[in-house]
Order: sequence, then structure tokens, then C-alpha cells
Amino acid sequence: MLGRTGLLAAGLVWGAAGALAVSAVPAVRRWRKGRRNPKDMIRGLATVPRRYMVDVHHAVQRRKGAAPMHALVAGGTLAGSVVLAAGVVPALRASRLYWSGAGMFFLAALGGTYLVWKRRNPKKPSYLSGGKFLWLPNAMLAWNLGGALVALVHVTLPEQNSIALVPLVLMAAGGAGLVVQVARGPMRHAFSGVTWLAAHSRPERFGGGRSTDLRPLDLAAPTLGTLIPGDFAWNILASFDACIECGRCEQHCPAFAAGQRLNPKALIQGLALSARGENASAYTGSPAPNAPPTAGQGSMTSAIIGVDAMIHPDTLWACTTCRSCVEQCPMMIEHVDAIVDLRRGQTLMLGEVRPGAADALRRLRDTGESGGRPLSARADGLASENVPVLTQDGETDVLLWLGDGAYELRYARTLRALVKLLRLASVNFAILGEAELDCGDLARRLGDEATFQDLATEVIGTLNSRRFHRIVTADPHALNVLKNEYPVLGGKWEVLHHTTLLDELVSSGRLKLDARDLPAVAYHDPCYLGRYNGEFDAPRRLLAAACKTTVEMEWHGRQSMCCGGGGGNPVSDVDAELRIPDIRMGQASEVGAAIVAVGCPGCTAMLEGVPEPRPEVKDIAELVLEAVVPA
Amino acid sequence: MTANVEALFKPLRIRNLVIRNRVMSTSHAPGYGKDGKPQERYQLYHAEKAKGGIGLTMFGGSSSVAHDSPATPWNQVSVVDDSVIPYFQQFADRVHEHGAKLMIQITHMGRRTRWDTDAWLPVIGPSPRREPASRSMPKEMEIEDIRRVVRAFADAARRCKEGGLDGLEISGAHGHLLDQFWSPSANDRVDQYGGSLENRMRFGIEVLTAIREAVGEDFVVGMRMSGDEILKNGLSQQDCLTIASDYATRGLVDFVNVIGGQARDEMSHAVSLPNMSFPVAPFLHLASAIRREADVPVFHAQRIMDVATAARAVAEGHVDMVAMTRAHIADPHIVNKLAAGRADDIRQCVGAGYCIDRIYVGGDALCLQNAATGREATMPHDVRPTTGAKHRVAIIGGGVAGLEAARVCALRGHSVVLFERANETGGQVNLAAKATWREALTGIVRWLDAQVRKLGVDVRIGTDATTEMVRLEKPDIVIVATGGSAWRGDLEGSDLVHTTADVLSGAVNPSGSVLLFDEMGQHNAASVAEVMATRGCLVEMATHDRLIAQEVGTTNQPIHLREMYKLGVMMSPNMELREVSREGNRLVAVLCNTMTGEEEERLVDHVIVECGTLPRDPLYMELKEGSVNHGQIDIPTLLEGKTQPGVKELKSGDYALFRIGDAVAGRNIHAALYDALRLCKDF
Repeated sequence: MLGRTGLLAAGLVWGAAGALAVSAVPAVRRWRKGRRNPKDMIRGLATVPRRYMVDVHHAVQRRKGAAPMHALVAGGTLAGSVVLAAGVVPALRASRLYWSGAGMFFLAALGGTYLVWKRRNPKKPSYLSGGKFLWLPNAMLAWNLGGALVALVHVTLPEQNSIALVPLVLMAAGGAGLVVQVARGPMRHAFSGVTWLAAHSRPERFGGGRSTDLRPLDLAAPTLGTLIPGDFAWNILASFDACIECGRCEQHCPAFAAGQRLNPKALIQGLALSARGENASAYTGSPAPNAPPTAGQGSMTSAIIGVDAMIHPDTLWACTTCRSCVEQCPMMIEHVDAIVDLRRGQTLMLGEVRPGAADALRRLRDTGESGGRPLSARADGLASENVPVLTQDGETDVLLWLGDGAYELRYARTLRALVKLLRLASVNFAILGEAELDCGDLARRLGDEATFQDLATEVIGTLNSRRFHRIVTADPHALNVLKNEYPVLGGKWEVLHHTTLLDELVSSGRLKLDARDLPAVAYHDPCYLGRYNGEFDAPRRLLAAACKTTVEMEWHGRQSMCCGGGGGNPVSDVDAELRIPDIRMGQASEVGAAIVAVGCPGCTAMLEGVPEPRPEVKDIAELVLEAVVPA
Repeated sequence: MTANVEALFKPLRIRNLVIRNRVMSTSHAPGYGKDGKPQERYQLYHAEKAKGGIGLTMFGGSSSVAHDSPATPWNQVSVVDDSVIPYFQQFADRVHEHGAKLMIQITHMGRRTRWDTDAWLPVIGPSPRREPASRSMPKEMEIEDIRRVVRAFADAARRCKEGGLDGLEISGAHGHLLDQFWSPSANDRVDQYGGSLENRMRFGIEVLTAIREAVGEDFVVGMRMSGDEILKNGLSQQDCLTIASDYATRGLVDFVNVIGGQARDEMSHAVSLPNMSFPVAPFLHLASAIRREADVPVFHAQRIMDVATAARAVAEGHVDMVAMTRAHIADPHIVNKLAAGRADDIRQCVGAGYCIDRIYVGGDALCLQNAATGREATMPHDVRPTTGAKHRVAIIGGGVAGLEAARVCALRGHSVVLFERANETGGQVNLAAKATWREALTGIVRWLDAQVRKLGVDVRIGTDATTEMVRLEKPDIVIVATGGSAWRGDLEGSDLVHTTADVLSGAVNPSGSVLLFDEMGQHNAASVAEVMATRGCLVEMATHDRLIAQEVGTTNQPIHLREMYKLGVMMSPNMELREVSREGNRLVAVLCNTMTGEEEERLVDHVIVECGTLPRDPLYMELKEGSVNHGQIDIPTLLEGKTQPGVKELKSGDYALFRIGDAVAGRNIHAALYDALRLCKDF
């Protein structure tokens, strides 16, 4: 009798592992139907432990209680099972220490199981899903309790270990449950997640790095963008299966908060369901708010977007590309890339853009300006400042890129403040004048890669024919395109946001500030400056030097909330219950801010469009100018 | 947002000059010149417009180029020697600092000036033809005079350029020497400067040619002119089109600044400076016609007071620059407010003509509804929050004095409650606005009321405040602005008469024959005469002044007189009302001729009097005893622009009491607003 139940236990673990391996086969087969995208999986897998322990856990632990839960349940289950599997070695089975160890791991896993259960009990939060998740704790309980009891029997009654047959049965039931959860349920996330972490599309992000640029599309390819799941690269398909439906993206999505027809979690699940050919009813989380129903059907080879497909088209255009979901996702899924791929498919293959966006795109193609306004009028707001225009014969230190905000009366005020500051600091600068075109940000985010590449080619040509040291812009969207997305197309320059330059001028003493006693000022991080370009500190240093009282909104820095103005959302006729900027200004009022400091023409327009009473909206350049001490 | 506004924000390039937007203020003579120089007050007045976002501000209306066009009469600017250049430089710096451009008008006024001022030189003109308005008989210019004046223009232009100004215009409008040569009504010379239009244009061509030689290519030179003199034997619209296009074709002018009409007599003066009785932009069509003929930018001013009209004028292509001159006197920050989406905060000119009327009697230009204009050194256009203690302020009276006090106190950051007896704010201005063409006065109240409510003042209308109600507010500062009530005068039988206020309020509705007696010479009696005559009364208006509406300014008085003549009002100046008695169901009024002492009787149905107002002050008297300062304003402190001592030393439970506006003594809207602003800006 000695050791029979121990060996059985080890065999059970091996059996479960084998079942899991077999269950992975259909997933791998499915992913292989995606676009070829060779990845060095050996090296990739070698990086997974570090990527998992550092990057994933960094994101996991942002939600209170999530990291301990995950460490206990995943770590405990995995460690206990591995130890048990090692029981094929007879010497180990004979050791009480061995069984004690196994028991400890399973006990830890039981604690974790309790925490897993507690998340949805007594009431499931709206951001979590139901369905198979509801009996997942039962399977975990059976496996881990069984494991713990098997170990207990072997520690306390090694001579009568046949009693362990009872918990072994329990364990077997749990194991069967877990295999189902992995093969056909949400726990597929474990295997898919490891695969995705090993074959991530933006490996630069691991270890605290940043990678936010959209990748150029080969416009000669037969299919542009994504129409069917099979158009996604195989690793992207894996990333959808890696989603564990934790709902962090949903909690931080500005479009979701405003009742626009987008829920990033539902979107990723919709993509995963399409690829698996499952029905939308298999998804048990919150839907995209107010989205009209779709057929909810999909397959690897049928359309994803459409009323008769899986995802409603409105969902696609509601995204502001703010990357908040990407920032929040513990599995580091790239929602924005997926949305832009889908938009590319809609725009380039089907011509299915919203009327407002279509107008803007047509004007961009016809005139090089999204509003169709004359290029000569861009600098109208700077008429009083006599800013020199950089010609092909000229030379300047700083080339000031105005962006399309310059056409607006309001933002021209910001640009005038910036110009005055540059003058005060004796910076040698110039503008492009009529030669400045739209940088292509809007076209690219709307999926019109062709127009983007046309504009980019022309802009890069213009800039490469001018002599300057660096480009400064007050528009983070232009900053992002010029700095991050042009290099691969042949445009490489030093590009700075105006707050970065002003910070440099203040810290080097070329501008002297005397902090003013203003009512509380809160800084609103523009998505394309903060999350996209990692600039969080320069604006804050400037504000601290210019204003005596500053406050932070609850969502700031990397967690900042979008103003609602990005990604072509404002021109895409998006239905909503609320306005995103109203929500954002409410957050500013909550912390007692009387002034919201901004650094983006989009944010300025959106936030200032909020009805009064609301905090005043001022660009950092304006606040800095008011605080300048004359030399 | 207002339609077409973007058209106003398109820069305009003239030669090398870029004007940031299409809104400007034309040259005028606010009477701020000192010793012939534009000094601090003058400069700050224009710098405020620059700060407020205006594209181009032009100063120095009728700045003189020669000694026989003296700068003295309206405290104008003299460009006759180089001593003015440093002032121009300082002026230009002050305006350029805020991104606006600065130009001047230079002129020789010819016959349209006086000989009896500092230099006592005879006035000159193309022909010895007297102008009714100036009453000066000019000497016919000899060829040497012509050459001398041409030279003087060129020298003055050089000084403008050396002074760092962005350009100049010469004036061929309002009957100056330039248009005296053009107009057959003033020029009947038989030499090469008279006769055909070609000859009459010659003087101007010589002046502009000499100016261009003096200033070179990089300087803007324009011309102000009429688009139609609307005068028998004057310049027709066709003549004006010819002049504009001829000068433009010759390349003599970089812009034309067009007006309608001329100003040779009282009525044409009033028409050329249209008051609130005129429609908006009455002469825009004349500017528009010239813009089609002459290939140079066209500027135009004349009662364009609202941004919607201004935007339309530019967007529809009638003008290149729209001048909102009086509009900027009412609110120098129009452009910035418009750009900031705060069009509702613009204090719109109502066309009262108070500014211009003051200068034609030798005063300084002040705005009826904005006490800070022309006082930029001491009065803020932007009232800033106090850094000191925040007070509870109770204001009694929601007329313009009380509203302005509430506005200023709220902007200072104090907590303000305002009591108004009536069911709407506005007080006496509401009454005045009931009189025919004076209706636009309501704009003053409308703006103040909207600002006060926007600033969160606790406005309690329909509340006749008592001392208890005031004390319950636990105020630190109490301001009594209860206004005045119309007085029946101290004549015998005053119980039988009614006041003009009674007529406007509807307390009395006269019919039949009415004797209206006026002791004030202001709008009040004149406008009520028009009201009653319009309603069918047979009205005789008597006054002991030499003229009917003698105190009403030169752009308004002719309108009153025109209306009264049209309505058949009998005008009896130099008469004093002595006594009123009853006879049957009618009244006998005894009038006495102030010159002869002879008495006359009138048998009428009604006698209406205008004898001003007496303060409505019982509440003030009741509150006085309990106040720390016995209701007194410390005058030296007030004039120094410092906080009143009563307010500085307040202890808990104490209150300081002040009285402003007609509640002190009956005056006018400007006085009421200035009382309030001057006092409250230092709380």
C-alpha cells in the first residue's frame, strides 16, 4: 500500500498537465490562422518570468488586493501541483517534509481561492464577468483542498494513506474543472498570456520602456488593416485570448464613462469570440454602453465589424486612442493597435468612416488641412507678433510647429504667450508659415493610413529642406507624430513639447519666474504628452514655479483621464450619454481646482467647452508668462 | 457664437504692416492732449484698447500740421515741430507692447477752426466762404500758402514716421482743408486748384505726393474722406468715388477711411456722428461702394457698435477694417472678449453721444456708461480681487449707481446683497428709456444687471429695504444708492403740476394742451415734450435757458430740435414759470420773460415740470447714526484712490455707510457710475 496514493496524486497532476497540453492544441491551431509574424519563441519564453514578475505584477498590484490574490492562487496552485508532480520520485514521497511543503502550497492556494471567491461574492462588481468565472472557485477549491488533504494524510497518517483516496477524488474533480476552465473557459488566459508575453508586439514596453507609435502599413498589401480575425497577426490573436476580463480597461475608459458605445473589455472579448467562432452570449461582462445589438456571430474568416457581425461599428469610432486601457491592462494587451487596425480596414477597404470624419479626411487630401482652411491663415493669430517664417535659405534654432490648433482664436492666445516667452528668453525661432501642412495625426488615427503617408511624405520633405536645430510644438499630437512616427518614414529630428523647452529655459535661468498666489491649479496630463511620450514632470515643474498652490486630480500622470478630443472622436459623430470633458472638469472641481492647466490645443478646446461654472482653463505657457519676472 | 466673427480675426497687410485683426478705432479728439502733446492720459487711453485686443488704434483726430490750424481748440495734438516726436515714440511703445498698431490723423482744418486762440492767426481756405459751424471767415489761400501747407504736411508726416507710428491718414472728411478744396461748396477758385474736379483734386495730390517723398516707401499713408457729402452743391457720391479711385490709382493712398455726410452745420454734424436715434451702420453702403471702385483697403466708422454688425461688414466685403470707435470708448476690451467667447460681457455702446458731446463744449471725452475710460491711470477697466479682507456689502438701490457698486464690490471678491424696491433694476434710467428714441439707454442697465447676476450678487428685487432688513445682513459696508425723486419745484401752485417722470412712468397721461417747463436743459424735458406731442398733445415747451435743451450736446440737441419741429412743439426759451392756478377744470400758468420781465398767461389742460430730482434719503438718515463714519466719504482719501478710513478700521458688528449717485444730489448716469467705481474699487 505504501506510496500508492502518493503516486496516484503525482499521476493525477501529470495527467492534468497532459490534458492541459492537449487542450492548448486547438488554441495554437487557431492562432496559426492569423497573419504570419515570426517570433523567436525560445528567447521570448526565457523572458516571460521576468516580464511576468515585474511588468505584469506592476500592473496587477494597482488594484487593491489583486496581487495577493493572484500570487496566492496562481503561485500556490502552481507550486503545490509542481511539487506533487515531483512525487513520481519515490524518495520524495517518503519524506514528511516533502508532503508538508506540498500541503503548505495548497493551503496558500486555498487562501487565494477564498479571495477569488470573495471578488464576486456576495455581489459581483460590474467590471467583472460572470459565466464560467462563477464556478471557477469551486474547481480551485476542489483541486487545492484535495491537494492539501492528500498532503495532510501523508504527513499525519503515512501508514494509512489510503484514506487519501477520498481527497484524491476531490482533486480529480477539481482538476477536471480546471482543465475545462483552461480549455474552454477564461483560464485559457494562463497559457495564452504566457504565449503573448513571450511574443508581445511591443517588447520595448517591458522593463518600464515605452512604445506608442503606430506602425506604417504596407499600402501595396492585398488587405489593408483588419476586416476578419484572420487579418490579425497570430500573436495578436493570442493577446485577445490572454484577456482575463478583469475590467481595469473598462474602469478607466473615458468613452465607457461617458456612455459612448465602447467598452474596451467587451471589445477584446468580442475579438476573441470572433476568432473562436463563439457566440457573443458567451461574454458575461458589461457590454459597450448603449450599443445597439449585433448578430453576435463571428468566425476566423468572417467580418468582425457590423450590425450583422460581432462588434457594432459605433464602438470603433468612440475610441479616443488615449491608451488608458493599454496602460491599465495587466496582460499588456494593445487595444489601441487593434482599434486602429480595424479602423484601417473600415476606412481603406470599405470606405466606412463617419460623415464628419469623411469630410475632414477629404479636406486633408484636398488642402492639407483638416478644416480646409487656407494654409496662409494658420499664423493669423500670431499676426501681432511678427514671427519670422523659415525659408529654404534661412536658418533657425527652434522651428515652431503650430499645428491645427493655431487656427482657433483660443489657442492662438496660447501660441502668443509661447512666442512672448521665447522672445523673453532670447530663443531664436521661426515658423514654417504657409509651408506647414497637417502632420497626419488625425488621418492616421481614423485609419486613413494612405492620407497619413501622403501628408507625412510631404511634411518630411519640407522639414528636410529647412535648416533648424530642433522642433518645438505646443500640440502633443503633432509631437507624437513628428517625434515617434516620422523617423521610420525618414524624418528624424529632435522634437520637444513646449513645456519641455520652457522647463529647460526656466531651469537654466533664461526665464525667471515668481510663483503667483493663484487659486488652486490642477494639471491635466494630455494623453499624447503623458502616456504617449512620458512627459509628466516638466509641466509640473513649470507649474510649481509659476503658481503657489497646485493640486492633483485623482486620475493624473499615467492614470490621467482623456479630455475626449483625441483619435478623431470629435469628428466621428459619436453618440453619448455624457460628455467626456464634463466628467474630467468634474474631477478637477472635486479636488478644488479653480484653474485647470493644459498643454494641448485639443484639451483646451474640449475642457473650455464645458459649461460654466467650471474651473478656468489655461495653457501652461499662459501661466508661465504671467509669472515671468522681467529681466 | 456671433456669426462671421472669424472674418474679424483675419490679419490685414498694408505695405509691410500687418494688422492682427480687422477691428480698429478711428482718430478722434478726446480732448486729452496737453500742451499739444499726447501725454500719459492720452497714451493710456489707447494702450487700454491695445491691451483689449484691438488691431489698429488711430489717435490724434485733426492733429495739426501748421500754426494756422491750431491744436488748442479741442486740446488736440500739434505736429508742427519736432518736440512731439518723443511723445510719439513713448506712445507707440505703449501700444506696440500689446500687439496693436498705432496711426495718427494729420490735417489742416482750413476754415473749420478759430482764429482767436494762442497764435491769433487768420484762418485760411480755398475761397473766402464761411462755414456755419466754425463761423470763421477764411482768407483765400495764395499759391505761397498752398506750397507752405503742402510742405507742412510733409514735415509733419516725417515726424510721425520718426515717432515710430505705423502710419497716418490725412483728413479729407468733416470739412477740413483737403475736402474744402474738393467741395464746390467751399471752393470757387478760378486757378488750377478750382473749377473742374480734376483741378479741385490737385491740392490733395500735391499733399500726398509730398508726404510719400518725406516718409519713403515703408510707411502707411491713407486718407479719410466722405463717401457722399449729402449736401446741395457739395460732393456727390459719384464725385467721392472718383476722388477715391483716382487717388488710389495714382498710388497716393494705402487706404481710404470713409464716412458719410459732412459736418458744416449743427444738423450735418449730428448726422455724421449718428446717435442712438439712427439705425445701425447707416453709411456702410458708402464705404462699400468705394471699396468696389478703389483698389485699396477701406476703413469705416459710424455707429457700428455691436460685433455682429462689425463681423457682417467685414464678412460681406463692405469694408476691410471696421472701426468701432465709440464702441471702444464704452468697452476697450471688445476684441479680447469676443475672442475668448465672452461676447456677452462686452459693454456695448448705446450711442448716447456723451463722449463726443463733451468735447464739443471744450471738455474731455468720457463715457456715459464706463467711468474708467479716459481715466486709465486711476480707474481700472478690469477690477481685480482685493488681497485684503473680504467684506459683506449691503447695497440699497438697484439703479445704475447701486448696480455698478454691486459689480465692483463683487469683482473685488466681497459678498454682496442688493435691495431694489421695484420689480426690476435700473431705476431712473428705465424711465428715461421710455422716451421715444432714447430707448437704447436700457442697454446700460441690461449690461450691469447681467454682470451683477453673473458675479453672484444676491439681487433682491421687489424689496423695499428697511434698516432692520439691512442690519439682519450683518454688513460691514452699507451703500445707499436709493436715487432721487422728481421735484415739482418751488413755484406757487406746485401741487397742480406733474413732473416729466410722472409722464414717463404713466402716473399721468396728459392729453389736450400742455405747458412743459424745463429748468434743467437736459434730455428729460425735451424727450418728454416729444412723447406728449407724439401722443397728440399740443405742447409748448418753455425754459429759462437761451435755447431749448441747452445742456444737451451737439450730436443730440439737433435731433431733439428736429423732432420737436416736426411734431409742432412750440418752443419758448427765456421764459420762467412763476405760478400755476386752477381755473375750472383747466390750469392757468404764468410765464415771465427772463429778458423783459413781462408776464404772459397760458390756459392749459396740464402743466408738466422738469426741475431735477431730490435725494431719496430717509433710509440713509436712519442708518447714519449707527455707522462708524456717519455716512461720510473722506474726500482726500477718495481722490487719492485709497480705502476709506471707515472701512479700514472696521470691527465686528460695525458697519461703514456711504451714499452715492442721485441719492446724494441729482446728477447724471456717468456721475452715478463714477461715484460707485471710485469708491468701491478700493474696498
